Amino acid sequence: MENIFNHHQLLCLALLALSAPLLAFICSLIFKKLAPIIGILSIGISFISSLVLFLGIWKKQVLYYSFDWIQLANVKIGAGVLLNDLTVIMLLLISFIALLVTIYSVEYMRKDGLKYRYFAYLSLFCFAMLAVVMANNLFVVYIFWELVGFSSYLLIGFWFSKEKAVQASKKAFIMNRVGDVGFLIGLMILLTQFHTLDIDALFGSGNLIASSFVKNEIWATPFGLLPHYWLTIVGFCFFAGAIAKSAQFPLHTWLPDAMEGPTAVSSLIHAATMVAAGVFLLLRIAPLFDQTVLNVMAIIGLFTAFMAASIAVTQSDIKKVLAFSTISQLGFMIMAVGIQNQAAAIFHLVTHAFFKCLLFLAAGMIIHQLHHIKEKNKANFDEQDLAIMGGFRKFMPITAMVFMIAALALSGLPFTSGYLSKDAILVSVFEWSDVRGGFYWLLPIVASITSWLTTFYIFRVVFKVFFGEFTLPNILNKTEKEIHLTDPNAWMKMPVIILAVFCFGFFFALNPFNLDGAWLYQGFNLTESHQGIYHTLVPIYINLLSFGLIFITYQGYAKKAFSFNLEQSFLYKLSYNQWYFNQFYDIFLMRLVVLKARCYYWFDQKVIDGFIHFISKLIIILSKIAAWLDRYIIDGFVNSVALFVSLLGASLRRLQSGKLQHYYIWMLLLFLTFMIFKIII
Amino acid sequence: MIPLQHFLLVGAILFCLGLFAVITRKNAIQILMGIELMINASILNLVAFGKYDKINNTGQIFALFIIVLAAAAVAVALVIILNLYKRAKTIDPTQTDTLQG
Repeated sequence: MENIFNHHQLLCLALLALSAPLLAFICSLIFKKLAPIIGILSIGISFISSLVLFLGIWKKQVLYYSFDWIQLANVKIGAGVLLNDLTVIMLLLISFIALLVTIYSVEYMRKDGLKYRYFAYLSLFCFAMLAVVMANNLFVVYIFWELVGFSSYLLIGFWFSKEKAVQASKKAFIMNRVGDVGFLIGLMILLTQFHTLDIDALFGSGNLIASSFVKNEIWATPFGLLPHYWLTIVGFCFFAGAIAKSAQFPLHTWLPDAMEGPTAVSSLIHAATMVAAGVFLLLRIAPLFDQTVLNVMAIIGLFTAFMAASIAVTQSDIKKVLAFSTISQLGFMIMAVGIQNQAAAIFHLVTHAFFKCLLFLAAGMIIHQLHHIKEKNKANFDEQDLAIMGGFRKFMPITAMVFMIAALALSGLPFTSGYLSKDAILVSVFEWSDVRGGFYWLLPIVASITSWLTTFYIFRVVFKVFFGEFTLPNILNKTEKEIHLTDPNAWMKMPVIILAVFCFGFFFALNPFNLDGAWLYQGFNLTESHQGIYHTLVPIYINLLSFGLIFITYQGYAKKAFSFNLEQSFLYKLSYNQWYFNQFYDIFLMRLVVLKARCYYWFDQKVIDGFIHFISKLIIILSKIAAWLDRYIIDGFVNSVALFVSLLGASLRRLQSGKLQHYYIWMLLLFLTFMIFKIII
Repeated sequence: MIPLQHFLLVGAILFCLGLFAVITRKNAIQILMGIELMINASILNLVAFGKYDKINNTGQIFALFIIVLAAAAVAVALVIILNLYKRAKTIDPTQTDTLQG
């Protein structure tokens, strides 16, 4: 096929896609009333440019442009764009979902007085995220990585009058910093070893990573030699950055708290795009990781997936369930990177972005409508609490439909996109452990359990919210008619319906049962696909049990045929309290930090301030002594001389009485004295 | 012949009287008179010692000089006293003390 566009035109398009949200950010802050329109327009422009870029670049070429930005001695740091297959997929995904979320937000944030800020922050986020994806240099990636984190911080704390939101935004920011330190250290190691941070030079055409090798416990590159363990360390450093961004164990606790932000934000940033940035980074620099790092990655990913899924099973807040679901699915992606099936990771990233975004938006619709009912009836209930929901299917049919489609996709049932992508990961886990055998068989087992847990928790939400008894009338003491619970208007419906369409498998593969036929999967699958036994067996056994689980949850939550009376059991408490990670961090890390801070405070107050106070007092005492010396000794001497002279004068002036005879007597006396002395001597 | 001691004794008595007048009197003219007494006492001494210089009579000549000078001095002193009186309306030296230190 011919190239439709030349390099120059594609470059201009890339810059257009990048600069439109940045302009929108600035314009939204100036033209406050027009902010929603500006937001939609700019991200629309980005989307169209991304679409064209996708058509021009996918499977055809790599667009690379760089100019020298910083030059330090023999190290050059360039800035520019590197658009390859991975980038254009991400570009398309981000701009498309951002467009839908922005449209959705128009209605969701309609009543908010500060919505111009919301749209400005959203544009800033899009700009940063697109830049992370496009950047050709890891240093530039790092800069925008931070900007992404910062805009996420702004949006989590958007309702800054809520104390919890402020705390959550701080928590997210600080926990991300922990990972960012790792990222930065990784950058430094790479810079030392390769004298460049250019992605193309390191991993692409330059191929510096591939030309480096470990021999005799030395990691040799064209530029330097380091002990071999530095290769592992650099891998762990970058992995730490990804862990924080993608909310993996042990830095996952910020994501559930981040749900304090507006739901549309949760859907765009904390479900579809930003948290995927960690996975994206790992994919972008995948050749760097050695086997140790990859194994750790797979284990951490799987552990996170399992842990988050087990927590999601018992959460009572609808957004918390979805948040832990996100963590769990991101764990799957990280695991896919760890077992070196990058195609599956990308594939799952894309499909997950659609259905998780949809789940959040649908949850947002429920929350939005319940919030209206709450305000209208001046009632007091938590609009995110699953306990008050039930039987919404009749009143919000479209919401129910899209939520269920997304739930099916999340569970990975046939005909959905999740079926393809999740099974891609599961199949490769089976194959991976089949090669290694033994202890490694734990991974596919835990992964399967996690997959079933996923089905269970999402259908628990579905049946609790949309089926069963309509409990709102009892809570509000009103009849069903008086509570106008309906689907929201078209601003919110349109984006979710579009997203729901993309949850079907047909978009990714013509035959929705054939994983290896998926164009996205094939696009990245570098190894020759071999139709093993697992390709047929794994989906069957996963899905058969999933269907059974759905039936059980239906009986349990919708029909109330039986109930799980497990509230008192240890496992329930462990899950409900999110494995006590927050408490653990509070006790072992926060208290430690606070204690340390107190020690420093004490040291500052007592020792440093004390020393300075002591010196100041010493100086005051010295100066007082000096003042005393000055006043009484030096001045005293001068004054006493003056006093003596004045006393002398005062006594002598009395001789000058003005009386003639007195003078005479004095003269006489002097004369006589003189004479007497003369005679004696 | 009167011995020299008698002259000297009279001179000394005269001198002391003059001195006493100068110191104690509250009248400038009386003080002036006391001064005259003292001058005369000294003249008496000069004349008395003049007996030992019969060739040149230095004592007598000196006495004459002093008498002339004393007359001139008295004239000047009287003028001063007159002027003082014009200014201060008094010739009491204890009251004219404007040059007091």
